[in-house]
Amino acid sequence: MPGKRHPAQWPWYGLLALLLLGMVIALWAATQRVHYSWHWDRVPQYFLYQDEVLQSTPVAGTVAQIAADGHDSRVEIAPADGGRPTTITVETDTLKVKVGDAVAEEDDIGAVQQWRIGPLTMGLWVTIWISFLSGFIGLVIGLITGLCRISKNPTLRGLAVFYIELIRGTPLLVQIFIFYFFIGTVLDLDRIVAGVAALALFVGAYTAEIIRAGIQSIPKGQTEAARSLGMSAAETMIYIVLPQAFKRVLPPLAGQFISLIKDSSLVSVIAITDLTKSGREIITSSFATFEIWFTVALLYLLVTSVLSQLLFWLERRFARSD
Amino acid sequence: MIEAKQLVKTFVGRGHIVRAVDHVSTQVAKGEVVVIIGPSGSGKSTFLRCLNGLEEFDDGQVIIDGIDLTGSKTNLNAVRREVGMVFQHFNLFPHKTVLENVTLAQRVVRKRKLAEANDKAMSLLTKVGIAEKANEYPSRLSGGQQQRVAIARALAMDPKVMLFDEPTSALDPEMVGEVLDVMKQLAREGMTMAVVTHEMGFAREVADRVIFMDAGRILEDAPPTEFFTAPKDPRAQVFLKQVL
Ligand SMILES: Nc1ncnc2c1ncn2[C@@H]1O[C@H](COP(=O)(O)OP(=O)(O)OP(=O)(O)O)[C@@H](O)[C@H]1O
Ligand SMILES: [Mg+2]
Repeated sequence: MPGKRHPAQWPWYGLLALLLLGMVIALWAATQRVHYSWHWDRVPQYFLYQDEVLQSTPVAGTVAQIAADGHDSRVEIAPADGGRPTTITVETDTLKVKVGDAVAEEDDIGAVQQWRIGPLTMGLWVTIWISFLSGFIGLVIGLITGLCRISKNPTLRGLAVFYIELIRGTPLLVQIFIFYFFIGTVLDLDRIVAGVAALALFVGAYTAEIIRAGIQSIPKGQTEAARSLGMSAAETMIYIVLPQAFKRVLPPLAGQFISLIKDSSLVSVIAITDLTKSGREIITSSFATFEIWFTVALLYLLVTSVLSQLLFWLERRFARSD
Repeated sequence: MIEAKQLVKTFVGRGHIVRAVDHVSTQVAKGEVVVIIGPSGSGKSTFLRCLNGLEEFDDGQVIIDGIDLTGSKTNLNAVRREVGMVFQHFNLFPHKTVLENVTLAQRVVRKRKLAEANDKAMSLLTKVGIAEKANEYPSRLSGGQQQRVAIARALAMDPKVMLFDEPTSALDPEMVGEVLDVMKQLAREGMTMAVVTHEMGFAREVADRVIFMDAGRILEDAPPTEFFTAPKDPRAQVFLKQVL
């Protein structure tokens, strides 16, 4: 409305910036007190690093020719038995032979640099796929359990309640141990299978309650309208109730899956090399404790924010019919 | 077409038993329009909902086009697709467009092809005067428009009978007419209809019979001219004085 004056907002944003800056300074001061020396330069190599790979000759013979090609050299080896010459490309500064040298089979000629994926990237990938796989399985379990939970059959309902209460009443860490040490041993499960199963059952129980609440929030009139058109109970669920319920439960489900990504760090206790475990392993060799933990936290934050943006976008798409 | 015999439906609410429908027997012939009136809580909705098995009744029989609803071999879903129902609060599917509301059950229940279902839907939407809103979502429609879509949705199943439960009660007064007009046209075309309504004008003009219910019982069943000029039952007399 023109003419109406709003109180200026910028002083508050200024204050916010100041407070955040203050926190950073406090953090820095705290590390000064313990005489911690920062080595952020040590971090990138754990994402991606160059590795020297030795190149050896597959045949015995003599070095016939060395041609420079930028930083690389192409070494041509004439086999002793007079066959066709073999060419090996290595980096010039790693070159170990001269023209005319005799080489035996498997002798090193030089090396090339190759990019390798570091443990942080690997750990991040493990965390992502473990979370998504167990999240997906959990969603299926949750859907089935949620439907059982509101079923008219006392056996199905009882089983659902039992499972939900069991999972929600015990700590995830204990569940993971039980899965790995007890069920894993009895059924001879791989640690990854045990970890994913524990996470999936955990998230499934919470998802079941969310889905049950979502289904029950759909007005009875919707079911009645569908049934009066001759749809069966299952058709009504699939075409009418679940699509509407799903739209409503998307925000709490999103929260549940974001929690799952964070909770997945607990599988590191059964020696699954996820992001957290990778972080712990790196620290033993890098001595950059603070930097690595900050980086690990930042990576979790990155994954969870990307996911929440994605789900936010999905939610807006579903809001078309409002 | 519809026959109810000694129909009983009770509800257990807070310790006491409510007989919502109490030994009701009546029938609706093919092409007949029956209007059911009565005070609030008299069991009109419950009776109507028993007719398509939405409400499980405790005793008695409902026979739709020769099929007994309580028969051990009766497929309720198969009966329901022959019985259209229109609700007070429309109950359109909010996540589907108007067109999809009308095609969904055709596709799922009647197994019609998409093109066939769309043609049917468009011709019905044209009939109820709302074809230009086919691709809107229900939330963008007025109450009167939504109710007309709901009628089209029920008609799309080619029902033999249509049940209406206070189809105009949730509407603003200026929208009542457009919905009643659609219903009158249906009646003229010979649709068998059972209508619960408070619209006495509609009952007078369209009904073949008026049924008056109170406390779960049918107290009077007469042609409209007779019922509105000389009701026999004393409670019907009181009721008419109040509403007219
Ligand atoms: N699901 C239910 N549970 C318990 N009691 C019910 C239920 N549905 C209806 N009743 C009771 O049954 C009786 C008849 O209700 P019904 O809705 O059929 O009346 P009605 O004639 O349609 O009234 P209105 O004109 O207000 O719609 C009422 O006493 C009501 O309280
Ligand atoms: Mg009613």
